[in-house]
Parts: sequence; structure tokens; C-alpha cells
Amino acid sequence: MLGKSKKAAGIMLSSVLLLSTMAACSSNGNNNGNAATNNPSPTEAATEGGEKTGIDTSKKVELQFYMLGNAPKDLPKVEAEINKMALEDLNATVKFNFTTWTDWDQKYKLLLSTGQDVDLIFTAEWTQYQQYAKKGAFLDLEPLLPTAAPALNSFVPKDMWDAVRIDGKIYTVPATYKEYVTNGFVWREDLRKKYDLPTPVNIETFEAYMEGIKQNEPSMQPLALGGAIDQTLSDSYLDFERKIVGPMPYGVFATYQKPGEVTAYWGSPEHLEDLKRFKSWADKGYFSKNELNEKDTNQDKLTNGTAAAMIGDNPTRYNNTMSQMKSLHPDWELGYTPYGRTNGYATPVHPIHNGFAVPKSSDNAERALAFYEKLVTDKRYNLLTQYGFEGTNYTVEDGHYKMVGDANTNGFPREGMQGWAWRNPEFMLFEPSYDGVKAIFDELDKIQVPDIYTGFAEDYTEYQAERAALEQVEKQYLFPLMAGQVADVEAGLNTFMEKAKQAGLEKIQEGYKKQWLAYLTEAGIQ
Amino acid sequence: MLKKKGVLRELYTNRILFLMLVPTLLYFLINNYLPMIGIYYAFVQFDFNTSLFQMDFVGLKNFEFLWKSGKLTELTINTVGYNVAFILLVNFLSIAVAVLLSEVKGKWFKKITQSALFLPYFVSFVILSVIVFNLFNYEQGVLNTVLQQLGGEPVDVYSKPKLWIVFIILFFLWKNFGYSMVIYLASITGISEEYYEAAKIDGANIFERAWHITVPMLKNTFAILLLFALGSIMKGQFDLFYQMVGNNGLLFSTTDILDTYVYRSLRVTFDMGMATAAGVYQSIFGFTLIMVVNTIIRKINKDYALF
Repeated sequence: MLGKSKKAAGIMLSSVLLLSTMAACSSNGNNNGNAATNNPSPTEAATEGGEKTGIDTSKKVELQFYMLGNAPKDLPKVEAEINKMALEDLNATVKFNFTTWTDWDQKYKLLLSTGQDVDLIFTAEWTQYQQYAKKGAFLDLEPLLPTAAPALNSFVPKDMWDAVRIDGKIYTVPATYKEYVTNGFVWREDLRKKYDLPTPVNIETFEAYMEGIKQNEPSMQPLALGGAIDQTLSDSYLDFERKIVGPMPYGVFATYQKPGEVTAYWGSPEHLEDLKRFKSWADKGYFSKNELNEKDTNQDKLTNGTAAAMIGDNPTRYNNTMSQMKSLHPDWELGYTPYGRTNGYATPVHPIHNGFAVPKSSDNAERALAFYEKLVTDKRYNLLTQYGFEGTNYTVEDGHYKMVGDANTNGFPREGMQGWAWRNPEFMLFEPSYDGVKAIFDELDKIQVPDIYTGFAEDYTEYQAERAALEQVEKQYLFPLMAGQVADVEAGLNTFMEKAKQAGLEKIQEGYKKQWLAYLTEAGIQ
Repeated sequence: MLKKKGVLRELYTNRILFLMLVPTLLYFLINNYLPMIGIYYAFVQFDFNTSLFQMDFVGLKNFEFLWKSGKLTELTINTVGYNVAFILLVNFLSIAVAVLLSEVKGKWFKKITQSALFLPYFVSFVILSVIVFNLFNYEQGVLNTVLQQLGGEPVDVYSKPKLWIVFIILFFLWKNFGYSMVIYLASITGISEEYYEAAKIDGANIFERAWHITVPMLKNTFAILLLFALGSIMKGQFDLFYQMVGNNGLLFSTTDILDTYVYRSLRVTFDMGMATAAGVYQSIFGFTLIMVVNTIIRKINKDYALF
């Protein structure tokens, strides 16, 4: 039940003492465990030399596999089938665990810091891979890869292995599928045509489109933002209009073109100007007065017709939203302009974006890697965990993926296990609608430049108290400003800056800037 | 009562009884006392590479974030304030309703009312938050639609922090008072009929009987429920506050409690030390409070005290 998982979050802090002792007890054990699994690997490999996997599989183990999000209905069947194969190949079984999307970040944190039995866990920049890796939550995979997963080791290109390095060490197995998760404007193309509005290609045309919707469809909300307004509005806006190098925190700002020129965005005239613009949107009714309390996702609001645009979404999600919308309203259409088309550059996804790591606390690191190798490189494992059972869950038509039944009846929809990290481009099956995404990707390929932001691993130990305090100040004083709910923007911004400085903003920005510049020098960027 | 000299003797004479106590003691030792070692996390810099006692000792650094934002006083006042209001109102309301219900003779009416009042207890705050949003949403909410139909001006409920003090208390009452009412109803059933009959013979009417017999007899239950509630006075109703307010900073000044503050501050930080520090602060505060209140109750009437 929903209540139950919420309750779990509620008692989380009060039960932290209990959990922490468990961590205390088990982390002792784990250290020994690690030492034991780390050291023997070269010797074992040497003695057994000819063994197929190069690791000791004499003892049967159960691997704990952790993925974010919700488990598909047919997971038990898939798991049983996988276990049959894994038992034969590796003398191991695997338990696929899912966190659900409710409070996944809390659960993720606890999984890693309480020393729970986890052998494989999803990593991404949005799950703070870089910070966790820097703090030593994951196992260094480099020494294990050649023996435990030789095929995987050579399957992932060297530049990708290098890209995920944190402090020179490889802590995660990156996905090799190349995609773009850069933003673009999303709008209702059928309405745009109907009212003869301009195609949104920049903020001015986007504004004109929203104004047109407001005039012609008064019951519709022109722009969907949702409660996470810092990401949906501010990050997207900075990305497009101010060409920020990446979603930098704490109001630190640097452009993609000049990453070494770091300035403070918060409190600057530009910040004031942008906030005033957001306020004007709110005043004109482009988005709800209660956007911060909104419960529906932006994509849902577009699909069901309550909202008419999003300021930024990535090509794949835009495509999913469109398919979903078409299944409900066949005559509606969605339009998309990638920011790259206007700005002239786009960054392909950084290898950190999807990966799987072995936590320090794992007792079966080698077997985990060997299993992960199977998941990626063995077609039987890969197809089963990405698409379910052929015939029952999906069929292949003209080389395209076709779902059996619909999203409600099918127990394992496409990539139902959120298997983004172990996608193998050689085996991947796409729906016919993917051609639209492919076209966008091809367009972006022509203007691609490397992502220089994601490889940066911030270490906030120095200013963690200030950082936590700032988190609250931002929510309390900056969010309402972004949502256009403060009558006097200038005074509101001053209050925010004053409170942020009290919380230690300058110390944080200083610390962040120093690390960022050091990273740029180290990575050889300008 | 044990006298100092007779401890061993006492242990020996009642050895069977003490033996029966062992499982409970063990349970508490393992589940409630052993975990207290984890308090030490509040004083170290968390590190994935070593065990707890090898981590760097950092003193009170983990507690810093609590006052860095200058909000600790406001948060403590909010947390305690809301809890006091919850405790008093819930108890007052449930005693009143329980007394009324106990006097009702119609069996069906009684059962249905009781169930209807108890039902909200099972509704999750997540669901309640969706209902509330649909009621108060500025553009499409029920409230504003009705107001506009009647020719009034729409109200933006989500930008009025003071209003939410009332709302939050109302939602809490709606959800929780049925539960404690059932407890009071149960202890009313436990009151011997003889008192009432005697009072009836002496000519007391129904109000006098309720006021002079039922209410005083509930004092004990009230004292226990009060003490239990006080122990967790620093632990806010996280679900309630977080679901209702979410990211809406406009309402924080009146609706932010320690739990939500800690959650928001540490949601993206994985530091065990700081999370534990917040827990320790809450526990110490709660412990002090319960000791003080218990002492006061002891002074007034020894029998009502918890220990």
C-alpha cells in the first residue's frame, strides 16, 4: 500500500539508530569479507587458469541485485528463468530487488550506508554516483574485471571505462548505448497548427506559443512545471538561455564555452531578470499558482490534455509521452525542438548516466561481475531481462519490438526492469515509434560535443553542514520566487540571498569553485 | 517494592517470575538498548571504508546544520506546538465523544458512528494530500469553483501559511481522534455499573453522572496516553506535514517541523552522522520532557505517574 511505503520514510529518521547499529555490526564483518574476496582473485585465477570464467564458482551464492523503480508484474517468472541459467553458468542465483520510486533516494542512501547485503546496484549521476564513489561506497572494479568479466571488459570501449573513473579508479560498469538526454521544448503541435502559433525554437517563440494557448484554450494550463521547479524550470532555462555547462548546484555558474569562468548566478542581475520573467509567466497564468503542490507528473498533464507544453524534456521521454498520448487521443500531436537545434551544440549522454556498481559491502564481487557480464553480453539473459518472454510479453515484427496486449495487461513491458544500464546496442529492439527519436539523435550527432560536466565529482565534506542548511533555505525562499509567488521579486531575492549567506553560501560556492577548477585542470579542459 | 538489602532474597523467592521476565528483558536489550551504540554516529565523520569506532571523531560538527540555517528554535517551537495542540485536542475531543457515545442507547447508531469515526485512521496521508489539493487548488479546486459560482473571489489557500496551522490540526484530528476515542470508550465500559446505579438512586441526572463519575474515572487512561504521547513530542507527524506542504516554501514558516526539515536537508546528502545527530537531538529533547512531566504528575498523584 502507498501508506506503508510513506510510513517507511516517516520512521526512517527515528529508526536511524537501529539501522546504524546494524551497520556498525556488519561493516566490521564486511571489511574482513572484502579483504578476503579482493586478495584471492589473482591467485585463484592463476591456479585455475583454464577455468571458463576465471573465478572460483565452487560455492553456490545468491546475488542481491538492486534496481530503482517498480518491479514488473512478471518479474518472478523472469527471475526463475534467469536463475536456471545462472545456476548452470555461474553456480549462482540472483534476487532482483526494486526500491519503487517512492523515496528511492532515501532507500538508496540506506542501502549503501548501512552495509546491507547488496552485490549489484544501479548508479547514475542523478543518484550521486560521483559523490558515493569519491566517498568510497563502491568497490574498485579494475583489478577484478580481467578475471571475473573478461568479455565485459573488452565489450565496453576504453574511453567509456576512462570516463567513469573517479580519482583514477573505475567504480561502475557504464552502459554502452549512445543516446541523448539533452532537453528540448515540448508542445502540442495540433493546437499550434490550429491557432497558427509560432513553432517554439527559443524563449520568445515559446512565450508566444504559451500566450496563444492562453488566449484560445482558457481552460488549459499552457506550461506544466510540477513541484520540482528547480529542475523543470530553472535548470532547463539556464541550459537553454544561458548555456550553463551542466545543472550546477548552489547558484554557481559557468557556461559550456568558458567553463573556467565561474561566477555566482544567484543574486546577480541575470538571476533577477530571469526570476522576473518567471513571475511574468505566473502572472499571465501560464502555469498554476499552486505549481509547487502539484501531484501529477508533467508528462501525464500533457497526455491527458490539462497542460500544453513543457519547457524541457529529453527526446526519448518526449517520444514516450507522445506514444502514450496517441493511444488515448489519436488525433493529438506533440512537437519537439531540441535545444541543440537553436544553440548549435548537444552533448551525448555521459557514460556515468547509466551504470552498475558493486558496493564495498558485497561478499561476492567476482560472481556479481560475472553475472553482470552475462546480463550485458549474453543474448539470452539480455533479451529476457529487457523485454520479457518472447511470445508471451513481446513479439518481433520486421525487426521491431511489439508488445503483446497493452501496458495494463502485459506483465513485462519494454525495459520493464528499468534495464537502461545493461542495454546492449547489438541486441536492442525498438518500437516503430523510435524512428522519431532516432531522427533527433541523428540530427544531434552532427553537432555533438563532449559532456564536460558529468565527470566532475564534488566532495562536500568540507561544507556539508552549510550545504544541508542551504537546501532548506533554497526550498523556503527561492522556490516561491521561481514559481512567481512572491509579489516583490527584488525584495524576495534579497531575502533569499541574506538567508543563504547566513547558511554559509559563500563558503559552499568557494569550495565548489575550487574543486571545479581543479577538475578542469586535471581533465585538461581549457 | 524492593528494599536494598533484600534484592538477592527477592530474586530467589520469586525466581520463577523473574525467569519469565527474561525474554522480555532480552528483547528490550537487543532491540532497544543495543542500537543505542549507534548514537556514536552523531559524533563521527561517516566513512564507508572503516567501522564505526575507527571513523574520525568530529565532536558536534554533525549537529551544526541544525542551527546553521537559524531555524532550530522555530522548528522546535513548531514541532512542540503542533504536538501539544494534537495531544490536547485529540484527548479532549475523544473523551467528549466517548462519553456521549457511551450514553447512547441505540446499538446500531452507536456502532455506525463508532466505525465512521474510526475509518479515517486507515486513510493514508498520501491519499488525503491528493484530496486536499483537489479541494484547495487555485485554478480548479472545489473551493474556488464554488466560490466563483457564488460570485466570490477565488482564494489562494496555498499561499497563506497561517491558515495551514488550522488545516494541519484539523486533518490530524479527522484522522486520529477516532482511534483514541475507541480506547476511552473501552475504559468507560470498564467502569462498574454500581457507581451509576448508586448515583441514580441519589438523584443524579445524566450530565451529573457523566461529569462526576465517567470523567474522573478516565483520568488514569488520560495520564497514560498523555505520557506516551509526550515521549514522542519531538517526533512530528512526518507524513502529514510532508504530504500536505511538500516543496511549497511559502508555507514553511508555520508548517516546518524537525522531521520535515531534516528530510529536506539530508534528502540528497547521504551522511549518516548528520541524520543521527538530528535523531539524537529529538530523543534527548523527548526524554527530558517526559521526565519532567512524569515528575510533575508524580507530585500531584503518585498513582497516575508512569513510573
